[in-house]
Amino acid sequence: MPVWQSIYEELKSENFEIISVAQDTGGEEAAGYIFDDANVSYTAIIDVNHQISSLYNLVNVPSGVWIDEQGSIMRINEGTYAKEHMNGAWGTNDYVPIVRDWVAKGADSEYVWDRSKVRESIIQRTPEAERAQPAFRLGGYYFTNDNDEKAEQYWTMAQELDPTSWNYLRQDLQYEEGGSAGPEWRARREQIEGAGGAYYAPLEIENN
Amino acid sequence: MTNLRSIAGITAVMLISGALNAQSATVLYNERVVELEQTLPDATDLWVKPEDLTRVNDFVLKPEGACLDELCVPVLQDRDSAMFITRRGQAWFNVTELADKLQQAYVTDYNDGIWSFGTMPVTRQSFLRGGEAPDFELMGRDGELVRLSDFRGKKVLLLTWASW
Repeated sequence: MPVWQSIYEELKSENFEIISVAQDTGGEEAAGYIFDDANVSYTAIIDVNHQISSLYNLVNVPSGVWIDEQGSIMRINEGTYAKEHMNGAWGTNDYVPIVRDWVAKGADSEYVWDRSKVRESIIQRTPEAERAQPAFRLGGYYFTNDNDEKAEQYWTMAQELDPTSWNYLRQDLQYEEGGSAGPEWRARREQIEGAGGAYYAPLEIENN
Repeated sequence: MTNLRSIAGITAVMLISGALNAQSATVLYNERVVELEQTLPDATDLWVKPEDLTRVNDFVLKPEGACLDELCVPVLQDRDSAMFITRRGQAWFNVTELADKLQQAYVTDYNDGIWSFGTMPVTRQSFLRGGEAPDFELMGRDGELVRLSDFRGKKVLLLTWASW
């Protein structure tokens, strides 16, 4: 987060904005301090209902979307980090340079995707996955109203309806023993990667 | 015996009034939580007063149908139908029937009378087929509403993350 702040400082005079949205049912209490600690001056939102993931068909965090001056999507659904962490254990140093290139060159940037590539990259939901989002929303309503039993009931329903959503799984695990990156998460991740799948859609950075 | 009979009588009165009087419901859609004082009791569907329709999902009931911007779903209003009925002079609109027509998903907790609606695919074709960024309206941490459309003319890097 502090890295994004420095990138924002560098690029904000070039008609560029960062909108950073925490997908956190726990609200300000859960996520607010992370924005505060980084002293962010870009647009910061805490999205307790995961509405941005619902609207943009995103299933994991962190995810990034490029939106141009006319409101068209230029890239979407990428696991995006500002830098590499823990000697490359996660994160990447490859993403920020392409953001800079796009901000400088706009549609002429070689990293801008064409319409069909953008369309293909938008996750298409099954009818079941469509139902997962109101189920998750209902669970969040009960969570906010301190009815943990029903929150769990509808969060479980959301996970069953959309097993591809890491957000539904990990938001729920956060409130259970083991936490959001504990044994259950690791087992699921290993299962997916072992079967040749990817935890994040692979970052596609075209070679110069 | 008298007591029992009067208790039974009271119970019967409560059941009848419960069946005749409309019941309350809560609707969740996007960020909104809408409390409806009266809906028409129904085992499976959500029937609301026409004026509540707009509070629930922004649709407006017009002579030509239920409309959202240019989109209008035809609704007959001079007779009963799956979408619209009149009881004791009160008109009722079937929100779940409209959702089914629009392939809008919903999940209901019938016990608590809470109806949670998903996104409307019909309003999302410009995103799903055209790659246009869906607009949104969310409260920013500074207390100001943030609308994506307010950033037209700028490049926006939209990032999601989480504390968990």
